[in-house]
Amino acid sequence: MSTEMNLHELAEKVIKLGLSLGADQVEAYTIFGAARNVQLERGAIRKFTDVANSGLGVRIIKDKAIGMASTTIFSHESIEKTVKDAYSLAKVSPPDKNFNSLPEDNRSTPEIKGCFDQNIIDLSVEGFTEMILEGVQEAQVREDAIIGGSFTAGNGERFIISSQGIDRFSKQTSITGYLSVKIQDGEDIGNAYYFDSSKVLADFDHLIVGKEAGDRALKMLGSQKIETATLPILLDPDSCMGTISPIISSGINAFSVFNRTAYFVDKIGDVIASDKLTITDDPFYPGGVDSSAFDDEGVISQKLNLVKDGILNTYITDSYTAPLVGLDNTGHASRGSFASRPTPSTYSLDIKAGETAKDTLLEDLKEGILLIGSSIIDMSGNPQISAQINQGFYVKDGEVQYPVKNAMIGTTVFEVFEKIEDFSKEQQNRHGHKSPWMLLSTLQVSGGK
Amino acid sequence: MLDTIEKVINKISIPSKDFLDIRYAYAMGESFTVRNGRFDSVSNQTTGGVAIRALIDNAWGFTTIVNTDEGSIQKAAEKAIRIAKIGSKFTKQERKINDDWVFEGKGGTKLEIDPREIDKETKFEKIIQTEKAAREFSDRIAETSSTYRESHSKEFIINNKGTKVENENHVVRIMKNVIAREGTEMQSVFDSIGGAGGWELIQKWEPEKEGLKAAEMGLKLLSARKPPSGRMNVIMDPSLTGVFVHEAFGHACEADAVIAKQSVLEGKINNKVGVEEINVYDDPTLPRLRGSFDYDSEGTKARKRILVEKGVLKEYFHTLETATALDMDPNGSGRAMNFNFTPLARMGNTYVDSGDKSLEEIAEHTKEGVYLKNSYGGYVMPAKGQFYFSCQLGYFIENGEITDLIGNVGMSGMTLEVFQNTYAVGKKWKPEFLGTCGKQGQGIPVTAGGPDLGVSDIVIGGSQ
Repeated sequence: MSTEMNLHELAEKVIKLGLSLGADQVEAYTIFGAARNVQLERGAIRKFTDVANSGLGVRIIKDKAIGMASTTIFSHESIEKTVKDAYSLAKVSPPDKNFNSLPEDNRSTPEIKGCFDQNIIDLSVEGFTEMILEGVQEAQVREDAIIGGSFTAGNGERFIISSQGIDRFSKQTSITGYLSVKIQDGEDIGNAYYFDSSKVLADFDHLIVGKEAGDRALKMLGSQKIETATLPILLDPDSCMGTISPIISSGINAFSVFNRTAYFVDKIGDVIASDKLTITDDPFYPGGVDSSAFDDEGVISQKLNLVKDGILNTYITDSYTAPLVGLDNTGHASRGSFASRPTPSTYSLDIKAGETAKDTLLEDLKEGILLIGSSIIDMSGNPQISAQINQGFYVKDGEVQYPVKNAMIGTTVFEVFEKIEDFSKEQQNRHGHKSPWMLLSTLQVSGGK
Repeated sequence: MLDTIEKVINKISIPSKDFLDIRYAYAMGESFTVRNGRFDSVSNQTTGGVAIRALIDNAWGFTTIVNTDEGSIQKAAEKAIRIAKIGSKFTKQERKINDDWVFEGKGGTKLEIDPREIDKETKFEKIIQTEKAAREFSDRIAETSSTYRESHSKEFIINNKGTKVENENHVVRIMKNVIAREGTEMQSVFDSIGGAGGWELIQKWEPEKEGLKAAEMGLKLLSARKPPSGRMNVIMDPSLTGVFVHEAFGHACEADAVIAKQSVLEGKINNKVGVEEINVYDDPTLPRLRGSFDYDSEGTKARKRILVEKGVLKEYFHTLETATALDMDPNGSGRAMNFNFTPLARMGNTYVDSGDKSLEEIAEHTKEGVYLKNSYGGYVMPAKGQFYFSCQLGYFIENGEITDLIGNVGMSGMTLEVFQNTYAVGKKWKPEFLGTCGKQGQGIPVTAGGPDLGVSDIVIGGSQ
């Protein structure tokens, strides 16, 4: 099933069958992938995994009603049943008056370099293992360090075909991995992790994964509870991206905008953040881990300036939501899996750097919190944020004093955007996701002391 | 299918000290969501395939395959053995499975009314009416949704030690979600019912009443007082007690985390981990709850686990491997999401047992603090023993009385401090938290609960 022809034939068969049943429109979304995973336990190999993932998602429209069905089983009977299930669900579903049509897009598919690397496919189990164990060695900052982790090398193919003329194919490779390190001195525990992810083997830095995880675990020793106070917060690039990205993705998603639950509903052209904030979304970044020439409905993606000098430029849309918010389709449809209905989501964000050196941002901090790989996010989805500090340090007179434990930050997404005081001139580039250090002026910090 | 995988197991020869199991897993489900007056998603899902695990010379090899013919399964099994042998060259620890634990049987969720026999219109009607009642309540209700889900799964498990098990699970659930908005202030209300069983578990859901209840609370929360900030006394309601006992304490009781030295409960069996009033159990044999099952994904018969008795830690959650490694008995905790994943040590229905205090008595004892209710979920860092939960709502406790409403807020604490800092245990436990527990990319249905619990020194992450 791993050949292009087989997947294409399968998708074409779905379209034909759906139309022959009486469907108005049909879409087939198929994936096939293979992944090799190595799991580590206490610094050594625990498990090798070699799995193939396949999936077919079918979307059928009948009289403006939508039915969806999916399967991982690619037998003739299973495919036929899946199409029939989608059709019968469409037939019994009430019509959706907001639905216009599945998208049409006859533009040719642009090429993005660096998304497929034969070296990842050719990587032997032994070679992969040796590479991982080199990373483990870097993480062994102390003899008693407890190291765990997981690394995956994989490849995947995606076909999207519809009755509206969409016919797209993509293939990509990926290599991802993380290491966690725990160091214990009596009751004092230093615990940290680090990860990397790439589409090209040569760009994957397994040694940094080990070194950062080990160094950070050492730094997390000696954590203390702090007093409740209002303090400025300095975020490293991972924390900055981890904070800004979910706020902007949820805040300008046209599906939520239409439902009036997006943070920045009716705000196009308005100030939504400090004038320091400029964000671009680039689906075409060469080798970007989340780069994609077309979205999950087969529409060509678009590079967008989302926020410029604190002013919101646009929402992100897909075929369903674009007409609902009166914008063009920006090609941002994204599916959680082959079984899901698409909704808009961002690709690779580029948060514009500032002009101040990151060391200066820290040195100028009289009292505050430094976050390393610890985002200010909330699980509720509401604009109110009540976030735990996972890896944070208390800073006094520009010097890091000690890691903090059992502390939280209470704020809102609006306050975070408004209180962006500065960005560093240095910008971290995690394979397309670009972020500088970010300084926020005072936020409420709840301490456990 | 059982015959096919048995034939493969019998054909493959591995040393008796090693281990091989083959699991066929098939699942189908339906999911319908109505959002803001229109159908957002109407779908069904089918997954199926064979998972093969080989433990050879202390390392695991794992492969999966969607083809179910004998030849394909045999090839995949040989591959699992081959990659395990490569892994064994790089491993340092001893791993094996005890020969004595052999299970045979057939289990399954009892269905009074098979939901597959209920027509789709009836299912649609439940969620349409729920969503409509909430939506029409006020124009300050920005988004309303209601979802119905059912899933039906089947596993056949055979291993080279002699285990041969067939198991079926059926899970149903109906949910409602309301987002109230006024300007930049938003508040969400979420609730659900369901469990392991059939349509009988959904029948008692009264759509209009449920929709109105959620909408009313959403509006009330818009004008609720801002949550406080800092360390304080907290009463956790049964839902939050459940989230704590699952996320913070339960995950630390998973023996794979203990063996990997990633749990703060490592080496604490028979040690005091809480005050004497604390008893914690996990029982997948309780009928009709979301985390109920007869056999786990390794074929081990499920049983009640006594995690904490009178404040003393007694048991971990075990797979066959972890039970062998720690020289303890397996307890049927090896659960896998589907054929693409290996079983891990997981929970089922975890709860803190009842005590003797009424909510009023706990509030009186609390004097000043907050009473927090209903969780959106949370996460924990088991190695460090620090947890975080997001709560939907709460109330201030002032002068020993429950007073004004508080909007959503997060709470954080240290796992080992909570049961030690418990000063009151409520009278009745309820399995209030229905969730899907995530671990290493696998989501499985669970329930958690307990009574109201009064705990000191919890950090609340309010904005003032």
